[in-house]
Amino acid sequence: MPFRVRSLIYMVPQIIRSLRAPSITVRFPFAPAVIPEGYRGVVKVHAELCRGCSLCVRDCPAAALELHRENRETYRLIYHPERCAYCGQCELSCNFGAIYQVNEISRSTLHLSELETVLVDRKPEEEDSEG
Amino acid sequence: MTKTTVPIGPQHPLLKEPMSFQLGLEGERVAESAMRIGYVHRGIERLCQERSYVQNIYLLERVCGICSHVHATTYSRAVEALMGVEVPPRGVYLRALMCEFERIHSHLLWLGVIARNIGFDTIFNYAWRDREIVLDIMEDLSGGRVSHAANTLGGSRFDLTDEHRDKILEQLQIMDAQIQLLLGAVEHERTLRERTRGIGKLTLEQIHRYCVVGPVARASGLDIDLRRDRHEAPYDRLEFAVPVHTDGDVWARTLVRVQEAVESVSLCRQILNSLPEGPVTTRVPRRVPAGEAISRSEAPRGEVIYYVRSDGSDKPARVKVRTPTLTALVTLSEQLADVQMADVSVVLSGVDLCIACADR
Repeated sequence: MPFRVRSLIYMVPQIIRSLRAPSITVRFPFAPAVIPEGYRGVVKVHAELCRGCSLCVRDCPAAALELHRENRETYRLIYHPERCAYCGQCELSCNFGAIYQVNEISRSTLHLSELETVLVDRKPEEEDSEG
Repeated sequence: MTKTTVPIGPQHPLLKEPMSFQLGLEGERVAESAMRIGYVHRGIERLCQERSYVQNIYLLERVCGICSHVHATTYSRAVEALMGVEVPPRGVYLRALMCEFERIHSHLLWLGVIARNIGFDTIFNYAWRDREIVLDIMEDLSGGRVSHAANTLGGSRFDLTDEHRDKILEQLQIMDAQIQLLLGAVEHERTLRERTRGIGKLTLEQIHRYCVVGPVARASGLDIDLRRDRHEAPYDRLEFAVPVHTDGDVWARTLVRVQEAVESVSLCRQILNSLPEGPVTTRVPRRVPAGEAISRSEAPRGEVIYYVRSDGSDKPARVKVRTPTLTALVTLSEQLADVQMADVSVVLSGVDLCIACADR
C-alpha cells in the first residue's frame, strides 16, 4: 500500500525529533517558572515619579487601579491584580514613566484582600523630605 | 420511518464553544436540524458604549480568543478614521505582521480541531505543536500569547529591533518546513481525504445567497480576499496568492486554509524584510469628533466589519461588529441536510465556527 509507506516517510523524522527533544514542562512551583523577558505581568511603580495625576486609573479597562486622594499631597494608588487584564495601558498612559510591568506573575491566594497592593502611599512629609 | 431527535450541545465534546443543535434523524441520516446560539453572549457592543475609546481596544480584543488582534485593529482603524489620523507606515506593517501570525495560528488550530474530530490524532498533535512556534513569536513581540494588546489608537504598541527580526526569521524557517510537512500530509493522506470529500457541500450559488465570506467562500470558488481586493498598504506591495478551490466541501476548505497558512508564512517574511523605518505610532487627539466610520479587515475566518458612531463625547455612541462566523452559521442547516450522523462532526468543524465572535 503506497500511501502507508508515504505516511511513514514523513512521520519518521518527526518521531526522531520528538524523541530527541527535551521536556518542555517545568515542575512548578518546585522549579522556577520560565517566563519570557517581555511578558506583560504584574504592575509596579517607581513611587518617587508618581504625581497622582490618575491618567492610569482613567484609562485602565479593567478598573484594576484606584486612586484615593485626600488632598493634593496625600494620596494612595492601589492595585488589584485579580481585576487586572495585564494589557499594559497604564504604562502607556503614564506621562512620567512611573508605572511599568514586570515579567512576574501574581501569586495565588484564597483571600482576595491579600492580593491588594498599595503602589504609592504619598504623604506630605515624605514629599518634604524628598524636596 | 420513525424520527429520532439527537441533541448536540450546548456542552458537548464535539463543540469547542457552547451552541446547541437538535438533529432529527431518519435512520443514520440527518433529516432536519435546528440550531440555537447565544450561550456566550456577553453584551460587548453595549459595554463599548460605557467605556472610553482607549478602554474599548482591550474589551474588543476579548471578543475572540483566536483572532483577537484583528478585532482590535479593525476597531482602531475605524476610530482613527473618525479622528482623521494616519498611522505611520511602520505601524501599519507591524499590525499586518501580527494579523498574519494570527492567521497561521488560527488555521493550524482549526486543522488540529478537524483532525481530532475525524480521529486523525497525528495531524492534531503536529498542527498544535507547530502552532506553538507562532504563539511564541507573538508572545515575544507583544508580551501576551492570546491577548496581545499590540494595538493603540494611532499605531502599534510594539517595535522590532534588527536582532529580534533575525530571530523571528529563523523561527519562520522552522515554521515553513513544518507547515510544508502538514500541507504534504493533508494533500496526500488518504484518510483525511476520504473522510472529508463531498461532505458539507456548498455551491457558489448558495455562497452568494447567504453572503458567505472567507475560506468557506473561497473553497466554493468565490475568489474574494479583502487583503488583495482593497489595494491598501502593506498588501499592495506584497506578493501572495489567494488559494481558491471549487469543490465546496470540507476537503476544499482544509486545502484552502492550509495553503493560506503557507502564504501567510511567506507574507510574514516579506513584511519583515520590507519593514519601513520610522515611528510605529503617532499622536492622536484626546477627543473624537462626531461622526461615523466603517472599517473592514480580512480576519482568519473572513471579512470582519466594524461600525463606530461618535457623538463627540469620550465614549462611542454605538459600536457594531459583523463577524464572518455569522454568515457561515446560517449555511449550517443546508450543510447538515442528508449527511450521515457520523459526518456531523466533520461538517460542524469544517466551517470553523467561532461562537464567541458571533455571540459577542
